[in-house]
Amino acid sequence: MTGQRSAWLLIAPLLLVLLLSFVVPLVLLLPTSFQEYQPGQGMVAGSFTWENYLRIATDGYYREVVLRTLALGLGVTVLCLLTGYPVAYLIVRGHPRWRLPLTLLVIFPLMLNLVVRSFGWIVLLTNRGVVNNLLIDLGLIERPLKLMFNMTGLLIGLTHIYLPFMVLMLVAALQNVPRDVEAAAATLGSSRTHVFWSVTLPLTAPGIIGGSILVFVLTISALVTPRMLGGPTYQVMATLIYDEYMQLLDWPSGSALSFALAASTLVIIWLSSRMTRRWAGMA
Amino acid sequence: MSDMKPTLPISIVALLVVAFLQVPVLVVVLTSFSETSYLTIPPQGWTLKWFAEVLSDPVYIRAIRNSLILAVSSTLLSLVLGVAAAYALFRKAIPGSEAITALLMAPLIVPSVVIGVAMLQYVTLVGLRGSFLVLIVAHVVITVPYILRSALASLSGLDVSVEEAARVLGADGFTAFRLVTLPLIKPGLVAGALFAFVTSMENVPVTIFLASARQTTLPILIFSSVEMGVNPGVAAISTLLIVATVIVLLLAERWTGFHKFV
Repeated sequence: MTGQRSAWLLIAPLLLVLLLSFVVPLVLLLPTSFQEYQPGQGMVAGSFTWENYLRIATDGYYREVVLRTLALGLGVTVLCLLTGYPVAYLIVRGHPRWRLPLTLLVIFPLMLNLVVRSFGWIVLLTNRGVVNNLLIDLGLIERPLKLMFNMTGLLIGLTHIYLPFMVLMLVAALQNVPRDVEAAAATLGSSRTHVFWSVTLPLTAPGIIGGSILVFVLTISALVTPRMLGGPTYQVMATLIYDEYMQLLDWPSGSALSFALAASTLVIIWLSSRMTRRWAGMA
Repeated sequence: MSDMKPTLPISIVALLVVAFLQVPVLVVVLTSFSETSYLTIPPQGWTLKWFAEVLSDPVYIRAIRNSLILAVSSTLLSLVLGVAAAYALFRKAIPGSEAITALLMAPLIVPSVVIGVAMLQYVTLVGLRGSFLVLIVAHVVITVPYILRSALASLSGLDVSVEEAARVLGADGFTAFRLVTLPLIKPGLVAGALFAFVTSMENVPVTIFLASARQTTLPILIFSSVEMGVNPGVAAISTLLIVATVIVLLLAERWTGFHKFV
């Protein structure tokens, strides 16, 4: 039997679909990003310019959006790590009977429609929303706090959205920590805290790095939650791309920003995989 | 080892975080029963009128129908294409299979909004803008990595000799796959298909660039109606989605031990 031929026949349909509706569209987007754009007239045929890319680095507004996106990614990653680690620890090391219900409660928001989750945060965070009403009723504040259309709202909402990914990565990492290594450290006189900081935490480093990369990349690419909680004025890269395509119709600028966003996610993933490989080589 | 058990403060923090994960869900469900036309907690009175309103609104009905058709057809298509590809990769008959796997998984890494704008320009160029088939294919692109991942993981845990035994006993390649391999990898495939379905059902960043007004899906409808302001109708439809998610998650857990595949 010609094993190779039948294997190609099995894989060809999917390869063809991906080539025609993923690779080719992305490649065709590249020339657009080097075209000149005249407001009101559209793309200038046959033009070539670096302007669309230069603008991202030099124009004050674009730079602000890019920096805000990266800061958001960093903030959400740190928050997910700090809140996710205790949850993962409780799931892996807590009473076995709690394990399944806790895991399901972490997975449930993940399976729930993203638009619904973001909508829930709008109900909570708007000016006359649940959180502000509660704080006013308790007499803690007099006037509603501004919790939406700013960094606070995006940090809360996106941490909620991506926390399950972090927890699941950390659960996997904690499960791989050999218990006898911890036991050995404890037998040799280490305190609980010391065992945690010097044995458990370093041994879960692959999960911490993996989870952080995942959350960071997902956060900087997010469109739905930033638009729903940030509105049309508080922009991040993905919402700006959306507006340049749908509102401003400035496709060249939008495609340059798209490549900048895609390139940053690819570089981050590539760097992290190199880093973890080097670590694995050292161990 | 008993002394590395979580301490009480750690457990309390962890439980608070898990509770934080459920807060928006509870809030949405509670507000959808309120009689007021604004969203408030605790709900003022109890009513089902927002559910009745949404479910009798032809715009919502069409969006739900579009979403279901799109999710079911793209998941089935992804399943067929993805399992075939995973099987070919698993048999390791193809040179460069690592590079091919990377290419097939790439839609997970490229930001969805970028896939969306690239597809928009492409379908405009080839004159297919507004075709529902384009939307299905776009959803195959974003859902197939989930199928592929779970199919590859399930296949790698498989003993090749079982299928070979079937072939020695006279089954042809497809029969051996259908009767021996397929049942063994089924739980993994169900989990992968569920992920694909959920991904398609909630997608906004790709769909919004490709769907015409008549093809609007449920998440797009909620996404754009929120820009006009929040209303209890959105809370009601969200509650229905929440209930559906709970049921599907519990069924999947019973059938396949779903949490092991996440």
